[in-house]
Amino acid sequence: MSALLSPEDLKRQALANAQDATESKAESPALAALRDNSLAALKAAVFPGRKTEQWKYTSLQPLADGHLNRRAAAAATPADLPKLGDYRLVLVNGRLDESTSALPDGVTLKREASRLEGLTTPFALYNGAALDDAITLEVAANTDVAGPVQVIHYADGDQPAHCNTRLEVVLDTGSRMTLIEQYLGRGPVLTNAVTAIETRDNAHLSHYRLQSEARDSLHIGTLLFRQTGVSRVDSYQLMAGSRLRRNDVRAFIDKSGAELNMNGIFVARDRTHIDNQLCVEHRVPDCTSNQVYRGLAGEKGKAILNGRIHIHPGASGTLAELSNKNLLLNPGAEIYTKPELEIYNDDVKCAHGATVGQLDAGQQFYLQARGVPLAEAKRLLSLGFVNELVMGLPDQTVADWAQPWLAGELGQSRGADEEAA
Amino acid sequence: MLEIRDLHAAVAGEPILKGLNLTVNAGEVHAIMGPNGSGKSTLANVLAGKDNYEITGGDALFEGKSLADMEPEERAQLGLFLAFQYPVEIPGVSNMEFLKAALEATRKAQGKEEWDSVTLLRKARETCKLVDLDPQFLKRGVNEGFSGGEKKRNEIMQMLLMEPKLALLDETDSGLDIDALQTVARGVNSLRSPERGIVLVTHYQRLLDYIVPDFVHVLSDGQIVKSGGKELAHELEQHGYGWLTGDRNDGKDQSA
Repeated sequence: MSALLSPEDLKRQALANAQDATESKAESPALAALRDNSLAALKAAVFPGRKTEQWKYTSLQPLADGHLNRRAAAAATPADLPKLGDYRLVLVNGRLDESTSALPDGVTLKREASRLEGLTTPFALYNGAALDDAITLEVAANTDVAGPVQVIHYADGDQPAHCNTRLEVVLDTGSRMTLIEQYLGRGPVLTNAVTAIETRDNAHLSHYRLQSEARDSLHIGTLLFRQTGVSRVDSYQLMAGSRLRRNDVRAFIDKSGAELNMNGIFVARDRTHIDNQLCVEHRVPDCTSNQVYRGLAGEKGKAILNGRIHIHPGASGTLAELSNKNLLLNPGAEIYTKPELEIYNDDVKCAHGATVGQLDAGQQFYLQARGVPLAEAKRLLSLGFVNELVMGLPDQTVADWAQPWLAGELGQSRGADEEAA
Repeated sequence: MLEIRDLHAAVAGEPILKGLNLTVNAGEVHAIMGPNGSGKSTLANVLAGKDNYEITGGDALFEGKSLADMEPEERAQLGLFLAFQYPVEIPGVSNMEFLKAALEATRKAQGKEEWDSVTLLRKARETCKLVDLDPQFLKRGVNEGFSGGEKKRNEIMQMLLMEPKLALLDETDSGLDIDALQTVARGVNSLRSPERGIVLVTHYQRLLDYIVPDFVHVLSDGQIVKSGGKELAHELEQHGYGWLTGDRNDGKDQSA
């Protein structure tokens, strides 16, 4: 057993690493400034512990294996990575593989990162303070990007270690892009990820976030949307559980008329864990947010969704909805879901719904009466539960990739396989 | 093929079938009629193995094996098919995936040659046409948003593909217009063969104009109170059930 890990231990480890990083030479002035500013903020930050409300169901004890003590070493890009977009960038352990950096017209790549506002969690600050590399994609005004841009973050290592990986994207006025962020990996590596996306007036982003690193991996990620213009963001987040997966998703809707749609599927089987902390900030009038998430937990899997919608005093005319349906496959699994509405304006329309249910006995019998064994019936019905959202994905390539992946996740429990082996 | 001996069954603890006897041989078509609440649907569900439908006495043998200890899927794999009175909607699982799972499991268990996806798709499309169902329905969620008639035709489509030894149709005629009724009847008739038994559970004689049964049984209060040929259905249509069930109730009153 590893020793108990305190918030102070975590902070000590993070600061030690960050100071090493800031002392090494910075490649770009922007990156150097981000490191310094993040480090300053990190010094004042408090890491979560058992009594931190937002970490109520998620323990950081797996980090006691020493993930934060070691950085994952540079590694080669695997040959068989999926190709879901016309253009593909690959970061391995946070560093860009330069051979993969072809991009469509109107999209500029910079090896830097600069955003701090809205990124307040200790892990996001640590990411900024200890970055070796980062990419920023700038989509020029009025560009309709020719094809989907896929960014793969690959984590690779044989022993507990961590990597900091970061993507920043700006969609300038009148631009459109489909961005596919994909997290993959091998081994017990902690991916500490930050993605920050700004959309300006009349921009339209279709965003996919696919997370399926190895089951013994850890992932702590922050996804930040800033809609500084009247823009539309459609985000689809598909996640399989791992030893620890935590996603803080935060959206600032800052210009009247902007629209945010977030959809998600999370599957926690065996002993895997997924914690989604969503927060949508409505700060100006007449914006719309619509969130639809579906979760599924089986065996001793554990899934959490906390959906906060914060409507500020000036945000009259807001339309905000959150729906989270969940399926518990057996009594050992756990799901915690909580919509959290904080409304400081009377002229708004808000709706939320959260359910946790079980597979329908009538549907199971119907399948059995057609000769389908119970276990296979359950698998099909679980898949059907998430498929309703998968079938709604606008990008067919992503949908075609996601369907067999989810079918595998919902198939025979990998834990059972391992036990049998 | 099917031999039911003194079958007693309870639904959620309440006795519904009270000593039912019925034998169905290969090649025969039986119709089971009876008033509401007589136990017709209970019989179908007990035979298919629905949860909460418990055999409390007697036995039902299918192909010489007792159904009592069999899981629903084992019964289906042996060749028993129940066309549901209320087919279940399964959003997110396409009709095609459903058929694939069903046919893979049953054909394998029955030692039949397995169909690859191309063969299956071709057969499913052909069968859709036989029951006037647009093949587009194969891509949709199972019964999701189907009309009552479409759901029933979907049941018949599944039945034709699965080629069961014994088909039980639970009020497949209810809620059908005359065209759909003829389509369903055509499907069932195409399945008639010397190797196959068919049991139709129905309220009305109407279906039996199109699927002519070899035997008609009247079920009342959990027992078969009268059996006869196809002409019995016409008598029931003319005189109702009262002359059969009434007699029996009188007898009960006297003995009480």
